[in-house]
Amino acid sequence: MSNIKIKSKNLDVFYGDKQALFDVNLDLNEKEVTALIGPSGCGKSTFIRCINRMNDVIDICKVTGNIEMDGMDINDKNLDVVALREKVGMVFQKPNPFPKSIYDNISYGPKIHGKGETKSELDEIVENSLRKSALWEEVKDRLDEPGTSLSGGQQQRLCIARAISVNPEVILMDEPCSALDPIATAKIEELIDELKKTYTIVIVTHSMAQAVRVSQKTGFFHLGKLIEVGKTEKVFKNPDNKMTQDYITGRFG
Amino acid sequence: MSNEHTVKSYEEELQFLKDSLIKMGSLTESQLSDAMDAVIKVDKDSIDKIIKSDEEINKFRSKIDTQIMNLLVKRAPMAIDLRETISSLKISQDLERIGDLSKSNAKKVKPLPLDLPDELLGNLKRLGELVMKQLNDVLDSYVNKNFDKAKEVWEKDEQVDDLTYIAMESVIDFLSKDKKNLDFSTHLIFATKNLERAGDHITNIAETVCYLVKGEYLKGSRPKGKVIHE
Repeated sequence: MSNIKIKSKNLDVFYGDKQALFDVNLDLNEKEVTALIGPSGCGKSTFIRCINRMNDVIDICKVTGNIEMDGMDINDKNLDVVALREKVGMVFQKPNPFPKSIYDNISYGPKIHGKGETKSELDEIVENSLRKSALWEEVKDRLDEPGTSLSGGQQQRLCIARAISVNPEVILMDEPCSALDPIATAKIEELIDELKKTYTIVIVTHSMAQAVRVSQKTGFFHLGKLIEVGKTEKVFKNPDNKMTQDYITGRFG
Repeated sequence: MSNEHTVKSYEEELQFLKDSLIKMGSLTESQLSDAMDAVIKVDKDSIDKIIKSDEEINKFRSKIDTQIMNLLVKRAPMAIDLRETISSLKISQDLERIGDLSKSNAKKVKPLPLDLPDELLGNLKRLGELVMKQLNDVLDSYVNKNFDKAKEVWEKDEQVDDLTYIAMESVIDFLSKDKKNLDFSTHLIFATKNLERAGDHITNIAETVCYLVKGEYLKGSRPKGKVIHE
């Protein structure tokens, strides 16, 4: 049995008067991929932003209820958010490399987190991160070139390399392939398969087929509520909830 | 299904697939019934017609195959739609096999003498009627997505086994009375066995319908009737 890495209990999120999440109870297993699906605005991105406290940057956002990582209260006022985000990396829909060299894109995080004090240590982190994100062979001779000079798919793998350079425990991916072509998507999916041996991964996706391919567990959100969560295979072959079935079969009006 | 697909053409494609399967089912029913009649009445004139209707059934099978391939490629069906698509593939295979068995039975009519005793054909007739009822019920259970009815068919195959045994006994009994009966008696034995195998395909369909409706396979083993030595 897998250990629970992240546990949310009665989680509510408000943006001002508007409630975005209602009483979400969801466990994410360690070293597994959990896919979150649901129509736009259903709260899946809001949910993953609770895991690394990204919602803190929105003034009117209020989070109540409980969300824990390894038993630690993520919403604790005294929690060091920088340290939390070191443990919980994030990759976004559109690749967003820093306007810096490929090398600096990777080394920036470790540097500010006080890792890799010497050049050779940093070199090692950069190489390892690029290898883990399956990009090393393609960029090893051009590390000084700007990250933005890479193709979209390569940029997204660079962002994944950047996320894993600080040795996180959890990686959040918010539609990481929606701006990529099928081959670049396949490479990211292949990478996710590899990364799940080391990291706990949460992926928000609008592609059902992708959710089936990459995840072991799937949660379906609708209007801020977690409607159904279960083994991916079960959810896509024989979901318990009619709303889930309507959504995944394309019957949502 | 109360809700329709947002994509209308997807809805139509699924409906078209279901319609094709229902048509194939009713064609298989009439062929089975015609073949049975031909055997019981030793009606040699209908053989060609039955063989021809098997070609129709085979055509349906490949038409359904194409529809399923298109659905899988175009729609990547999920949940109930996936089960519907895969079930259609399996059911059409079983129907095609039932068609083959009916054709085989029609061919068995040719060497039969016209003056077969009633008591010999009586048991075969009862078996044929039961198998036809089973096919009718299982197709009903498919159309109405009726789990209980499908399960009933599945359980009732035990009776098909029992009747097969009885029908076989009467043929063997007849055969043992006079060695010159050997030639056509063999054909009757095969015809009986074919009906029993059609029954097995019907139980496959029943299992598929159960999976289609509930998303789970039937648990445990099916009740079995008397075993025939092969």
